[in-house]
Amino acid sequence: MIKDNRTKDYKSIIQERVAKNSFKRKVFNNFMTVLLFVFVIIAIIPLASILFEVFKNGVGALSFEFLFSPPGAFGSGEGGIGPAIQGTLIVVGLASLIGAPVGVLAGVYLSEYSSSSRSFAYFLRLFNDVLTGIPSIVIGITGYIALVLTLGSFSIMAGAFVLSIIMIPIIARVSEETLKLVPNTLREAAYGLGLPKWKVVWHIVIKGSKSGISTGIVLAVSRVAGETAPLIMTILGTSLFFSGFNSPVDALPLRIWRLASQPYPEAHEQGWGAALVLILLILALSVALRMFAQKRSTFKSTT
Amino acid sequence: MNKLINYRILGISLLAVSLLVPVYVNSVHAQKVSINGAGATFPFPLIDTWRTEYQKVNPDVNLNYASIGSGGGIKQFTEKTVDFGASDAPLSETEFQKAGSAVHIPETLGSVVLAYNIPEVTTPLKLTGPVIADIFLGKITKWDDPKIKELNPDVTLPSENIVTVHRSDGSGTTYVFTDYLSKVSPEWNQTVGKGKSVQWPVGIGAPGNEGVAASIQGTPNTIGYVELAYALTTQMNFAAVQNQEGNFITPSVNSTMAAVSAETSTLPSGSESWSNVTITDPPGPDSYPISSFSYLLLYKDLSTNPTIDEQKAKAITEFVEWAVTDGQQFAESLGYVPLPQSVVDVNEATLKSLTFNGNPILTN
Repeated sequence: MIKDNRTKDYKSIIQERVAKNSFKRKVFNNFMTVLLFVFVIIAIIPLASILFEVFKNGVGALSFEFLFSPPGAFGSGEGGIGPAIQGTLIVVGLASLIGAPVGVLAGVYLSEYSSSSRSFAYFLRLFNDVLTGIPSIVIGITGYIALVLTLGSFSIMAGAFVLSIIMIPIIARVSEETLKLVPNTLREAAYGLGLPKWKVVWHIVIKGSKSGISTGIVLAVSRVAGETAPLIMTILGTSLFFSGFNSPVDALPLRIWRLASQPYPEAHEQGWGAALVLILLILALSVALRMFAQKRSTFKSTT
Repeated sequence: MNKLINYRILGISLLAVSLLVPVYVNSVHAQKVSINGAGATFPFPLIDTWRTEYQKVNPDVNLNYASIGSGGGIKQFTEKTVDFGASDAPLSETEFQKAGSAVHIPETLGSVVLAYNIPEVTTPLKLTGPVIADIFLGKITKWDDPKIKELNPDVTLPSENIVTVHRSDGSGTTYVFTDYLSKVSPEWNQTVGKGKSVQWPVGIGAPGNEGVAASIQGTPNTIGYVELAYALTTQMNFAAVQNQEGNFITPSVNSTMAAVSAETSTLPSGSESWSNVTITDPPGPDSYPISSFSYLLLYKDLSTNPTIDEQKAKAITEFVEWAVTDGQQFAESLGYVPLPQSVVDVNEATLKSLTFNGNPILTN
């Protein structure tokens, strides 16, 4: 009896204490949850307000003429940003054609082939990181001296070249990290089946981390699509549509900058419109690329 | 399997479209000649109007002009990265020597106005050269300074600090403005001097005429210097400036024209050095004191720039000829002064002397 009572007592005491403790814990837990939520909101506020502001100010400028025609005379508020949209697509496309293969292959080397020369790989990684940190205007000046002055004209090729230099370290870094995530057992299994190394790398490692690699490419593309400084030094900007690989072209960030620095309200509205177009373009590009990569890799994994 | 093929087709067609669009546009433009120029922001509203108007006259020629400032224009012209440069400051002796055989083609005339933004003041202010110099030297710091009050007895000026706005880039407008201040203020001449970019004692910098205009508009109690066209199109207030004869002149097309006719009798020929040409602080009772030519820069033999071929050389020369003759009709409505006949004659002679590989370009 007594014994039983005692155990009951202990039980109730423990329960009491636990209840007391758990109340504290619950309060603390709720408090922290709310706090974290608040910080998430604070982190989202700038992004949301930027999107809201750009949308509110820019949506009025959008029209068929705005998207497809060249700019009108200075200060007239007529015309559009056709050449800028076209220029951005071509320059970023060409930059990706140069930057993506080089970046991905550099990542493949660092992840798969560098085990035999560790110190070389170490310096490669170091310089890659340094390259990521170089201000884009410096890369722009390099492009101006190396390409614009030697070729004799501002050109789309010079622009694509400097943008690809900004892309390469980002893509290489992300690719290397993603390739490292592929389980070693997969590689071993492939070797066990008698595949040569290049086939293992191509069919198993790269295909398996396709969504990660494409994330890296999307990151790099959206980074360079918004670059202004290196483009001032290389493609100069123009009011004309693309007219050859060795003449100046326009780009959206350049056009936004030019429109924003004009003292006319019509130009400012067009600038907001151009900013909205640039954001939508990058958004569409990243969503499309991501869906493309994911759909394909899930299909692969089911076979 | 179908899905995979679908995505492949989608990917390939996207790639094909992105490659074909430029090819298509390229073929549409294949017969066209693009003329690339860069330089002064001072005549940009006029040159940009020429771009759209010349399309109607000659649809096969595209004009492309980037307003990067006169300093940039001279640099890109000398580096031969553009087909023509534009500058409101003539090439200095050293720049002229470095360029080799450059010709100056004055393509328009404009005036530099003192634009200000004082919310309380709506009537035009009157200023004299020495007072402007003192403001930009930082010696006059308040809008209600006795020196300004004395010139404007009827205006109630606020007791606010004056913020001066100047150009942050190499600028022909700066050259014209400092050239004027050097003539009217000995102290300015000694401490700051004239040039496309100078050491400003006070004030904030902004890029291009556009940037200065936008800064003045956006900041109360500012004063800065911009080309007349920028002040007119943005409806800014600007000051009447006292000229040599003591009259306060409001900048306008007519008062600039008066200044020009007082000074254009002794112009050099196109291929000579223009470094001493200046029309600031001219004589004449109605002359506005701060005005300037703006120049297009070309090489005497256009083949000096290896990216110019014979077809392009012809297109450039024809465009410039159109600009200095028929193109002048667009000047006045934008606040620029149409070139006087004497200057057009100088230009015609210059254009006739231009060559490509030694052969004259204009045959008639």
